[in-house]
Amino acid sequence: MEFLTFKLDGDEFAVDVLKTREIVDLRSVTKVPQSPDFMLGVINLRGSVVPVIDLRLKFGMEKVDAGQSTSIVVMDVLVGAEKVIVGAMVDSVEEVMELDESQIEPAPRIGTRLNTEFIKGMGKQDEQFLIILDIDRVFSTDELAMVQGAAEQPAVAE
Amino acid sequence: MTMDQYAETFREETLELLSELEVGLLELEQNPEDVDVIGRVFRALHTVKGSAGMIGFDEISQFTHEVETVFELVRSGGLPVTGELVNLTLAARDIIKEMLDKNLGGESVDPEIADQLVAALRGLVPTQDDFSANGVAEAEELITSESEEATYHIRFRPPANIFHRGIQPQGLLQELSRLGTCRVIAQTDSIPRLDELDAELCYLYWDIILTTEHDEDRIHDVFIFVEDDCELKILPINEDLLAQSGEGGRLGDILVQHGDLSRDDLERVLQAQNKPKLGEVLVQAGVVTGAQLDVALEVQAEVKRQKQKREAVEESSSIRVRSEKLDSLVDLIGELVTVQARLSQTSAGQDDPVLNEIAEEVERLTWEMRDHILNIRMLPIGTTFSSFQRLVRDLSQELGKEAVLVTAGAETELDKTVIDRLGDPLVHLIRNSIDHGLESPEVRHKAGKPEQGTIFLSATHSGANVILEVRDDGGGINLNAIRERAKSRGLLTSEMETSEAELINLIFSPGFSTVGEVSSVSGRGVGMDVVKQAIDSLRGSIAVTSVEGKGTTFTIKLPLTLAIIDGLLVQVAGEKFVLPLSAVEECIELSRQDVASANNRNLIKVRGEIVPYLRLRERFRLNGKPPEIEQVVIAEAMGQRVGFAVDHVIGEHQTVIKALGQMYRDIKGLSGATILGDGTVALILDLPPLVQEAEADERILTDSVH
Amino acid sequence: MAKKIMAVDDSATIRQVLSFTLQGAGFEVTEAEDGQDALEKLVSDPPDMLITDLNMPRMDGIQLIKEVRQSSWGKFIPILMLTTESQEAKKQEGKAAGASAWLVKPFKPEQLLAIINVVLL
Repeated sequence: MEFLTFKLDGDEFAVDVLKTREIVDLRSVTKVPQSPDFMLGVINLRGSVVPVIDLRLKFGMEKVDAGQSTSIVVMDVLVGAEKVIVGAMVDSVEEVMELDESQIEPAPRIGTRLNTEFIKGMGKQDEQFLIILDIDRVFSTDELAMVQGAAEQPAVAE
Repeated sequence: MTMDQYAETFREETLELLSELEVGLLELEQNPEDVDVIGRVFRALHTVKGSAGMIGFDEISQFTHEVETVFELVRSGGLPVTGELVNLTLAARDIIKEMLDKNLGGESVDPEIADQLVAALRGLVPTQDDFSANGVAEAEELITSESEEATYHIRFRPPANIFHRGIQPQGLLQELSRLGTCRVIAQTDSIPRLDELDAELCYLYWDIILTTEHDEDRIHDVFIFVEDDCELKILPINEDLLAQSGEGGRLGDILVQHGDLSRDDLERVLQAQNKPKLGEVLVQAGVVTGAQLDVALEVQAEVKRQKQKREAVEESSSIRVRSEKLDSLVDLIGELVTVQARLSQTSAGQDDPVLNEIAEEVERLTWEMRDHILNIRMLPIGTTFSSFQRLVRDLSQELGKEAVLVTAGAETELDKTVIDRLGDPLVHLIRNSIDHGLESPEVRHKAGKPEQGTIFLSATHSGANVILEVRDDGGGINLNAIRERAKSRGLLTSEMETSEAELINLIFSPGFSTVGEVSSVSGRGVGMDVVKQAIDSLRGSIAVTSVEGKGTTFTIKLPLTLAIIDGLLVQVAGEKFVLPLSAVEECIELSRQDVASANNRNLIKVRGEIVPYLRLRERFRLNGKPPEIEQVVIAEAMGQRVGFAVDHVIGEHQTVIKALGQMYRDIKGLSGATILGDGTVALILDLPPLVQEAEADERILTDSVH
Repeated sequence: MAKKIMAVDDSATIRQVLSFTLQGAGFEVTEAEDGQDALEKLVSDPPDMLITDLNMPRMDGIQLIKEVRQSSWGKFIPILMLTTESQEAKKQEGKAAGASAWLVKPFKPEQLLAIINVVLL
């Protein structure tokens, strides 16, 4: 299986390469009012309006200013029964790598910073751990379809 | 009651009949020619067969039918009673008994034995009668092959004694009207002078012009019980019928064809005709009646209409395209529009006449292309209309009402997406009209109305909009009931003065319903608020008017297309938003003083009228301070004028709408997004929910009214 | 007020099916076992409609229809005849006697109600 790997707050993550469409540079994002912070907003992707989420915030990590290597990984995600194109903002995109089934271990119950529900397994390469994400879960409807009240935080402007 | 209970009755009855059969057969052995006994045996078999068939014991019914057929022959003298016949029939009786036990849980019957017996019984019959002809055939369901709409001219002249057969011609005409759109013309020329008139006889006959999707057989079915005795002509009306003539068939030819006018009479009158209208001359000459002329004129009009329809179809009948292909074409043109906007913007910033010219040319072509592409998606709404005929028929039956659906403007074109999403709200409105609008036939009768209520559904174009109307001639909306209901729901306080229009519009409030008990039809947990929501989501509006005792009218106004709107681009806290221009009335400046003089309440004076406004900055919790002078966009939403305070109004902007998608489905107040000339995304505001939310928060509505 | 229908059939099963179907549709139903029985009940309390089988003991359906049509109260009431015989002769005989409509057994409840809808305004 092939995976696309990227970094978030020092940790390395991986998603099934078949789920990804393309990688684009960070561009002007329009915030949608009354949505939670981790939902960054929408971008124009060659004439389509595509929602983007900030994976750092989604995983409860600290927010940082976007840097040179900040990218958006555009993916096909199943939200409910519908296929949706979604962008995920990450610190940097690393590489596409091959992993055997044997190199993948089940997700640990504890010991990771994020909700184990989002984790498909742990990959191991050169003594380094990779967190393989179940990206459909990360974008699952229940998590994202927010109520108005959830947006108490001041929204981003300018 | 269930089949099981029928089965119990059937069992008791059949056991009784079987013993009667046994006794009868034994008697016949002694007196083979006793007609009474033969009759009794036959009747027992006959009843067993009929009853079994009724409750679905087909095995018994079919088997008994075979035996019955033999005894029918015996009864008519075609076959003598022999010892063999009695033996076989007794054996058959035992098999019926076994089958009965089996159906009620006993051992199953060996089909071979039954078959052998049937074969032996058949062997008794000398001539080869058609045994397989089972009387069931005629009871086959009256399923009709649905086909394209056609129009028929039906002449129905019942036998004069039709009343003595307990048949009311109205019933037949009414049944006919359920098949489609129907115009009935009563012919009165056979009514004799009063002193010769027998009140028990029927002197009327009828001409009916029926447009229906059912076939001719289905029309015959309506008259099945009188067809043999009445004069019934069913003529399809089509162009070929009258092909040779210009004006949709010459009147004289039609009358001759109907047999209302002889060719000789026509020629005679034609010769005398000095170019006034033939119809009038014929009536004056006394050779046809006014009503006969009406029919011919109606047929003529229909032929003309069909011709137009055919021409319209021919015009558009080239190829079929999958709607997905059109959708992607619309997406592409949307992108093209965006790119073109960027090109125009770029060229405007540069002093290059050649580039400017190219940009202008591209702009012109893009818009032309856009119009054409959107036009491809337009479909006549008529297909939706025709499905409602059945709905009205079924619902009125279910609810014990009598209703007919009359439609107009079926050819009106709307965007396919709009049509698709319009079905449910229209169904709901029609249900509502039948359920709550139309009174029961008895009540209507007392009120001096025809017992059959009419639901009128129409579509018309009006500029960039389509107006749909659902009207009924029922009892109207009871304003007092609404008032009481609104008070009990806390939507209205007793001090509040409300206009009729305000009051009646309360039916669109969530969870509002004036009918005490929930009926099975309208009361499926869906109210008028859902209809309103659906219409809102199509960027349309709905209004209702009602006259007590006369009826209710729902008027729906819809944009022709969903793909593109004319918008007003505004800016708040650096973010750009688009308001639908159709709702915008004007823009007004709002200075700090204005705010102060209104005691910091969100109210603004627009030419003497106080209008409430809401601040998009606050609504959307956007950062930053508003400028010294803000702009208030005055718009119409939720049936009232509301202002939207923004930092700047940028200008008009034609916008291709993009959905925000599944991830933002719960965000209220936004209907989509659009891509601006500079490639950034702007959000399109959905005004009614914004106002609703603000009202809920601040009750700005009630503040403003008082 | 609910319309009254009399169901005449020598089969208890069919009477039960008729009664149940018609009552379900909101009609008031009375039953009779044959023509003779029907006539006796009809005279005192004429219904809005009569449904009758044809082949019955004592008095058959055809005779019943004739009697009803000759009465002062039954001249115009709708009469639906039930038959298992598809033969033209029987149907014609019934029509000549004054039956309004016919229905061939076995029938489905919807068919019965559809016909009543046409015949019984």
